[in-house]
Amino acid sequence: MNAGKLLTLVQKEWLELLRSFKLIWVPLVFVVLGIMQPVTSYYMPVILEKAGNMPEGTVIEIPLPSGAQVLADTLSQFGVMGLLILALSFMGTVSGERNSGATSLVLVKPISFGTYIAAKWISMMTLTWGALLLGYAASWYYTWLLIEQVAFGPFLLSYILFGLWFTFILTGTLLFSTLLRSAAGAAFSSLGLAVLLSLLAGLMPKYLSWSPGSITGSAYQAVQSLEGFDALASFGWSIGITVLLIGAGLIGSAAMLRRSPALD
Amino acid sequence: MNRLLQVEGLVKTFGTTQAVKGIGFNIKEGRCTALLGPNGAGKTTTIRMLTGLLKPTEGKIEFQGLRPGEDQRSLLGYLPQSPAFHNWMSGMEYAVYAGKLCGLSAGEAKSRAKELLGRVGLADAANRKIGGYSGGMKQRLGLAQALIHRPRLLVMDEPVSALDPIGRREVLGILKELKEETTVLFSTHVLHDAEELCDDVVIIQSGQVALQGSLSQIQSDHRRPVIELKLEDKESSMEWARSFVERHQTDDAWRMIIEDAHLEDRTLRLTVLDMEKARQALTEELAKQRVGFVRLEAGYSSLEDLFMKVVGA
Amino acid sequence: MNETTMEISKLIPIIAPIFVIQLILMVIALIQCFKAEETRGPKVVWVLVIIFVNLLGPIAFFLFGRRIKA
Repeated sequence: MNAGKLLTLVQKEWLELLRSFKLIWVPLVFVVLGIMQPVTSYYMPVILEKAGNMPEGTVIEIPLPSGAQVLADTLSQFGVMGLLILALSFMGTVSGERNSGATSLVLVKPISFGTYIAAKWISMMTLTWGALLLGYAASWYYTWLLIEQVAFGPFLLSYILFGLWFTFILTGTLLFSTLLRSAAGAAFSSLGLAVLLSLLAGLMPKYLSWSPGSITGSAYQAVQSLEGFDALASFGWSIGITVLLIGAGLIGSAAMLRRSPALD
Repeated sequence: MNRLLQVEGLVKTFGTTQAVKGIGFNIKEGRCTALLGPNGAGKTTTIRMLTGLLKPTEGKIEFQGLRPGEDQRSLLGYLPQSPAFHNWMSGMEYAVYAGKLCGLSAGEAKSRAKELLGRVGLADAANRKIGGYSGGMKQRLGLAQALIHRPRLLVMDEPVSALDPIGRREVLGILKELKEETTVLFSTHVLHDAEELCDDVVIIQSGQVALQGSLSQIQSDHRRPVIELKLEDKESSMEWARSFVERHQTDDAWRMIIEDAHLEDRTLRLTVLDMEKARQALTEELAKQRVGFVRLEAGYSSLEDLFMKVVGA
Repeated sequence: MNETTMEISKLIPIIAPIFVIQLILMVIALIQCFKAEETRGPKVVWVLVIIFVNLLGPIAFFLFGRRIKA
């Protein structure tokens, strides 16, 4: 793998993200989602009071959630809307270029298939981790403003764990995008994988604690736990396996691309 | 003359159909070679195997002068039939991008891109988005990006067949200059394009090489004297022509001087063995039988006749 | 009770950023929509969706609105 050529390919991907405005609108949507969660949690009692035709004197008992709970709710919101947006944004990243014929010009240049896939992945991850950080930090700040401060340690740890979950599913999007001709197929396969793994991990937490699906649960746990919570000791298996699967997904994508670099 | 590329026993099978059935040819340094054949003969498949986009089922593709460990793709520049770029890039950006992917430094890529875009006549459009380019402009940008790293071999798949007549002339003009500087291989189904540009031809038909060699050699080897007779639109004349086609091989006198005769619409085409005698005998026959004709022409068979005969069309 | 009603006045600076960001998203989506050569479905419908469907309108346009030509 040649560093100069990798950088050239990554720069091209970044420029494409910028020119298509994805680099701007995706983080902004994450910020809106991040702010909305603490704001709605905070004002929920007021909203319910104004909306419902409650008889005079009704006391609504909705306890204000803890700051950590709000952040966990934010992550779960990102896990649905955020992941959907990212998967749909990246669904055609390889198949689109292959269907148009653009890969026939790029892949006859002396670059390796691995470098091409790595560049795609790096650019996807910069947008993913960046948008997640901005949105989550906005949520953290608003939670602090309206409810209470959540310590930095749990915030950071839960960010990293959730980022890992996103990385895993979006590596799946990249793999399916090299495997399938249809971009929608890639989005739905990887999102289906996310739903399936989450469901299974929720149904059988005991038996599937090693699966990538349990990472989201560990992120919720991490943000709600005290400082000094040892994520590796508690979720080491699922983290290790997820990292391995991400690596395998990347190698698989490069192999698939080598098998059919362009349409016949 | 140095061989630059040697192809041996190239086979490609898709499922149960064999698209390429053991093709072999050489490309000599500094020559322009056309891969000529009708649509579906296996030209594109062959070209894509040369570029590494398609893995051969069997066979060898060998570049001369490849340093150990060097990627063979660094020696060739490739232009597909209708190249697709990234429409959101400008022509200049794409050419620089292509240069950097071939290992040029940023500065070198920029100066090469500028030089080549000027050369293919895109200097004014260099900073416009590729999405707004015409077919001919895209083809010319495709040439610029293929040549950016000074490849030893320029490979093109049907470089002009998707273009309108103006775009075609532009690209053919550029190719005529280019072939003076670099070795060129291109595929085409249009004989005329091959004749105009090439030194060597490899004619392929149904996945096999039907004929190959230098254009001038093939031309002199297969040149035959021909007489063409266009008949008047009258039943009696047509009647004579039909009977002539039937009897020219049975009649001893005719067999000595005429190799082949066939009638197409109102044109009788005779491939002759002895032009002098054939002309004499035919004019006598025409006068005797009172055959009405519009045109009588004696000449030589063209490359097109040969091409048609070889590909069995 | 009194406490929460007072907080309504505090609401405006808090939710202002949300409106600003949504406005930015709407403007970017509208610019792209007008510049697009071809949209999936009539352009007018997209303009209405972008303006009137809060947040999801612009997102839907960014994701599905443009027909990318090969």
